[in-house]
Amino acid sequence: MSNPSEINGGSAVAMIGKDCVAIACDLRLGLQSVTVSGDFEKIFQYGGNFVAFTGLATDVQTVSTELRQKHALYEMVEERSMEPNTAAHLVSSMLYSRRFAPWFVGPLVAGINSTTGEPYVCSFDSIGSMDVSHDFVVTGTATNQLYGMAESLYEKDMSPEQLFETISQTLLCAADRDAITGSGGLVYVIEKNGKVTKKLLKSRQD
Amino acid sequence: MSNRYDSRTTIFSPEGRLYQVEYAMEAISHAGTALGILAKDGIVLAAEKKVSSKLLEQETSAEKMYVLSKNIICVVAGIDSDASTLVETARKMALQHFATYDEEIPVEVLVKRICNVMQGYTQFGGLRPYGVSFIFAGWDSSQGFQLYQSNPSGNYTGWLATSVGANTTSAQTLLKQEYKPDSTLEEACDQAMLIMSKTMDSSALTSTKLEFATIKASSDGAEYNVYKPKDIEPLIEKVKSTTQ
Amino acid sequence: MDILLGIRTQNEVLLITSRSLARGISVLKSDDVKVLECNKHTALAFSGEPGDTTNFVEFIRANVRLYGFQNKQELTTHAVASYARKELATSLRSRKPYQVNILVAGHNGTPELHWIDYLGTNVTLPYAAHGYASYYVLSTLDRWWTETLTLEEGLELARKCIDELEKRMPIDFKGCNIHVVDQNGVRLHE
Repeated sequence: MSNPSEINGGSAVAMIGKDCVAIACDLRLGLQSVTVSGDFEKIFQYGGNFVAFTGLATDVQTVSTELRQKHALYEMVEERSMEPNTAAHLVSSMLYSRRFAPWFVGPLVAGINSTTGEPYVCSFDSIGSMDVSHDFVVTGTATNQLYGMAESLYEKDMSPEQLFETISQTLLCAADRDAITGSGGLVYVIEKNGKVTKKLLKSRQD
Repeated sequence: MSNRYDSRTTIFSPEGRLYQVEYAMEAISHAGTALGILAKDGIVLAAEKKVSSKLLEQETSAEKMYVLSKNIICVVAGIDSDASTLVETARKMALQHFATYDEEIPVEVLVKRICNVMQGYTQFGGLRPYGVSFIFAGWDSSQGFQLYQSNPSGNYTGWLATSVGANTTSAQTLLKQEYKPDSTLEEACDQAMLIMSKTMDSSALTSTKLEFATIKASSDGAEYNVYKPKDIEPLIEKVKSTTQ
Repeated sequence: MDILLGIRTQNEVLLITSRSLARGISVLKSDDVKVLECNKHTALAFSGEPGDTTNFVEFIRANVRLYGFQNKQELTTHAVASYARKELATSLRSRKPYQVNILVAGHNGTPELHWIDYLGTNVTLPYAAHGYASYYVLSTLDRWWTETLTLEEGLELARKCIDELEKRMPIDFKGCNIHVVDQNGVRLHE
């Protein structure tokens, strides 16, 4: 376990529904096999944009605070809110600025464009390569398990309620097959009308 | 007018004065009036905008009101371009503090740091001082709501109500008359509007000539509100109806 | 390896640290104190590479005090922890990173405990442990810790942990100091 991205563990997933998006993460923070904390949230809110960071926890904290700074400055200077695609490009350029000494994080961006009303999800590698998706994106130590669950459960144009069920099951079942992901989950469902629902999921505490 | 002791910013005159700093303050006394009133549940800032031409784009961003962080706003009197670089510095300082300590910068800490920057230009040679005065309004968890005023020398002072700019003398007189120690933010807004209506050069009070902002208590500390022209109209109407 | 435990009780935080200071195969000191008072209401407990540890925590303390003098108001425990985390995270990507693990304990109205490792991972926890000791005591703490522990119950739980460590640790760590951080500040519990 000398891979920095797999020391602390953790995973996240985001999905597009009809006029809504959902983003979810687990709550575990560990040091290899030892669980240190069971309420380490990996999703951060920047205005209407939700960004999940998985990977090395210290870099999760560093990059999320740096993004908080850049987002706040953007909103003060531009005097308008930041759109999800803008947030995604910002994340991308922040990561690429450390091309030769990367932050060991795997971010996801989820949000709804305030002018077009289009849902938006995007994932990244640790040096900022963007992958904009029309259905779902996954990241973290349970990436493979999440892909399997999402591929089999995902349907087009789900309602916010259906989307919540789908993303929750995807996360929980994937976490069951990854020893360093779990200790509960956190789900945000973001709707076009601006409604945001935050729900905590209970799961095995081992 | 000019003499031997004002060619450099850093040279005292025989009377112990720094002329360049005083000239900077003179520049401010020609700016549109700005004022701030501290209420028990918030702070109001108001400013007069000098409209030079009707061809001037009015819909663009506020000229004098700036947000420095979630908990601090300010109003500017003086040279706008000087102000905007200081505002940029202030915003970065506030964000740096938030990133390091995960807490909003205390108001006086930010004011002190900005004033230290301004003071530097009155002591180190070659550059002119900043030609701006700020009125800072902010909230923090240890000191609550605070109102400060700075000037180009780098001095700052805390106030219950204060003003700067062209008609500051008459505004100060009115503030002394009108100020009530335990007024609410709503009452303070009305007072601010009334004083602006009496001190402004133009006869008719319009939203195009005014800027207005408040900071008040919220569930997670403080929230600011920089008024749009349409939000200012009701306040003007209210003042008109009470004064008639 | 040194023992570093923290237990948050209802009104205070307990810091339990081993008293031995060993280098190689020799014990150099059996009354070592691994806790530093940062400001009146915040304490730092530390372990790791000798030299790095004292240098790092004294640097943090100096800067926390400087902030207090300059700004006429003290940093909160939360702010101290964030600042220490930032220094560790910055150091991690330098030529020679600080190899220091710390616990930040404080009381600003409510008791607060932060766990920060040498990577700069900062988490707020009800109870925390660094190093090998964590393998022995986390299960005990999981079983017995509750939200409403009194000081006496907290000390009893600390006793349970120390007993377990004395039984299972392969080295003699010369007993433990227990520091209590409450609304009156930091004190060494006799």
